[in-house]
Formats: sequence, C-alpha cells, structure tokens
Amino acid sequence: MSQSSGKVRVAVDAMGGDYAPGEIVKGAAAAARAGAVEVVLVGQEDVVAEEMRVQGIPPDLVRVVHAAEVIREGEAPAIAMRQKRQSSIVVGVKLVRSGDVDAFVSAGSSGAVAAAAATYLGMVEGMERPTVGGGFSSFAPNIVVMDLGANVDCKPHQLLSFAIAGTVYARTVYGIENPTVGILSTGSEEGKGNELVKETAPLLKASGLNFIGNIEGNDILTGKANVIVCDGFVGNVVLKFYESIGDRAKAWMMLKHPRWKGIIRRLFDELVPIKKLSYEGEEEGSGILWGVDGVVRIAHGACTADHIEHGINAARKAVEADIVGNLKREIALFRQQGKLQ
Amino acid sequence: MTVEEQVKDIVSKIAHIDKAIMSPESTFKEMKADSLDVVQALVAVEETFDIEIPDEEAQKFRNFGDFVDYVQKEVDKKG
Repeated sequence: MSQSSGKVRVAVDAMGGDYAPGEIVKGAAAAARAGAVEVVLVGQEDVVAEEMRVQGIPPDLVRVVHAAEVIREGEAPAIAMRQKRQSSIVVGVKLVRSGDVDAFVSAGSSGAVAAAAATYLGMVEGMERPTVGGGFSSFAPNIVVMDLGANVDCKPHQLLSFAIAGTVYARTVYGIENPTVGILSTGSEEGKGNELVKETAPLLKASGLNFIGNIEGNDILTGKANVIVCDGFVGNVVLKFYESIGDRAKAWMMLKHPRWKGIIRRLFDELVPIKKLSYEGEEEGSGILWGVDGVVRIAHGACTADHIEHGINAARKAVEADIVGNLKREIALFRQQGKLQ
Repeated sequence: MTVEEQVKDIVSKIAHIDKAIMSPESTFKEMKADSLDVVQALVAVEETFDIEIPDEEAQKFRNFGDFVDYVQKEVDKKG
C-alpha cells in the first residue's frame, strides 16, 4: 500500500482491450475519483496523456507509467511477452514485482498476461500453472468453476491445486467457510469419467477438502458444489456455452412468438439482463489470475469503463483480503501433509 | 555451484522436471516442458546470470546441453 496515503495501488493496462485506451482511461479515472485506490495507468505516455486530455481528466488524478510497446491479440502469448519487454503488460506486471503497485489489471491478451505474471511474479509454491476461475453468478451465485480456459491440458495434481485455489476463492469472495468441491464428469457415480477425472477424484477424496464427488453438467447451476473443478478445455466450452444462452433464448422466443417480440426483447434486455450471463457481481468483467505470486486480474477484452472500475476495486479487495497469502498458506498445508507435490 | 547445476536447478524448478532425467542430450520436448516453461526458464536464467539470450540464439538450442553451453559462454565473456 502507499506509504503516504495508505491506499492500495492498482496499475491498469491502458493499451489492452477492444476499447482501449478510451474506456480503460475512463474506468481508471472513475476508480481514482472514488478515492479508495491510487491508480497507475501503464501505456504509451503520449497516447494516454492525449486520451486524458480529451476526457478532461486532470493529470494529477492518475499517474502514468510509460510502456512503449503493445501486445496485440493474436500474437503468441509467451513469445510476445518475451519479445516485447517494454509492453504495457510486462511493465505493469513488473510494477507489482518491484512493489511499486499492489495489483495489476489488464484487458489485454489473457495468455500474455498469464505468461508475464507466471514469468515475472513466479508461481506460488505448489501451483504449477496460473488458473482462471469464476462464478456463473446470474443463476448460481455461490459457485466457482476452475479452470475456465487457462490450461487446456491438465494433470491430476494440477486439478487438485485448482480445487484448493477454488476453495480459497469461495471462502474469500463468497464467504463460505467450508465450500463443497466437485469434479465435473459425465456421471455422478464414482469411477465415471475420462482418465483425468478418474485419476483426480481419489486425490480430491483424500485431500481433506470438502469433496462431494462427481458433478454432472446439469448440476453446475444448482449449487450442489461450490467449487467445480475441470480442465480449462472443458471449463472454457462450458463458460462460452453458458454465455450464449441468454442471446439464443431471446432469439428463439422471438422466432417462436413473433407477436410478443417487443415484450421478449424488453424482458431480456431490460428486466433480465442476461446477455452476458457470467461475470456478474464480484466477477463482473474480470477475474483473478490464481496461482501467481501477486494480485493480477484479467478483464474481458470487450470490457467497458464500468468493468475496469469494478476490476480495480475488486483488485483492491483482493489485496486487502490477502488472497495470495491465503492461497500460499492453504497450499503449504497440503504440501506439508504430502498431498500435493 | 557450476553454471550447469544452476541452470538445471532453474529449469527443474520452473518446469517441474526431475533433475535425474535431465541430460545434455535431453530436448525440452522430451522433458515435457511446454512453451511457457521454456520462456520462463529463459527469463529466469537471464536474470540470474545478468545476460541476454536473443530469441534467434534460443531457437538454435537443440537440447539442454546447447542451452547450458550458451549460458556458460556468456558468463565466461563477462569474466
């Protein structure tokens, strides 16, 4: 935290995202104006300064740290991160490492953010890979699915580490003292599923976590398990399918009942804003990158100023709740007991 | 600790590879290190020895031995 103000300091990638730098700068300024955080914008100084001038943001509201390069979507993440060391993503992550800020928020290339964070912040001992988890909070307010796409191929002990991270998440974010943990599978009976599920389930059972067994797809939204573990391939497919339901349901109902089009449109767009079902509430627009040794939030590429403001405040809360310290302590216990490599 | 031992330590820790299976002839693929492991290892080695490994050089490494040899040469150059 800042020595002088006592506020949490959050760096924001001004160049990342579909609507950068405009929406990012706007969201960062809104968070700074609210007064609970010190905000640092990281990006090409002239571009950021011009955007601030256009938006009428006083130069003393947010500090700007220059980063000459930008990693674009579509660039190979690990390679781009290494080749563009002056990119806003690498510079922002390094500000966390040096202790100049307490957290970093980026709507840029998720892969590059994860790669830069793993490389420059390092991993929490016992976590091999960064993982992104999140809730499907519109329908199921107390669940976290982990992993949502950061790791398409996983090993059983990695899924165990995701379950531990998910448990810390459910405790810290949702306030659930002893979250239930399930593994996503094709059948609820023990022994059902692919090799990864079959090999992971015994580890979860012996872990001391509140493991309740296999969870089927139709139980994701029921809240049967607070933490649902799967590899990132499955998690990402589920997430994107879930995100599409609102739009598809609206289109189908309008086709089926053309006379009620107006009511249906209003119902979906205004009364039940489920166009994007996930990432509401705590996770609105961004999520914590778990497993790296620092607080990093990855925002949706299409995020707006509101999402960035929310992401900055969520990053502040993550720092104040010491999520990285909690994860370290939890993982250390499992390692001491020989349950995790 | 020799340069080779230090590099072995770094790669082993980052990529979770048993040091016993790491030989100069081992390729990163054989050691089941993915692209992120390799990049993390390169950056960690650069920072540990305060050297720079250009990508065009890194792409020439056929195996772990080539990687160690390059680092050793750069360290020797620094005196």
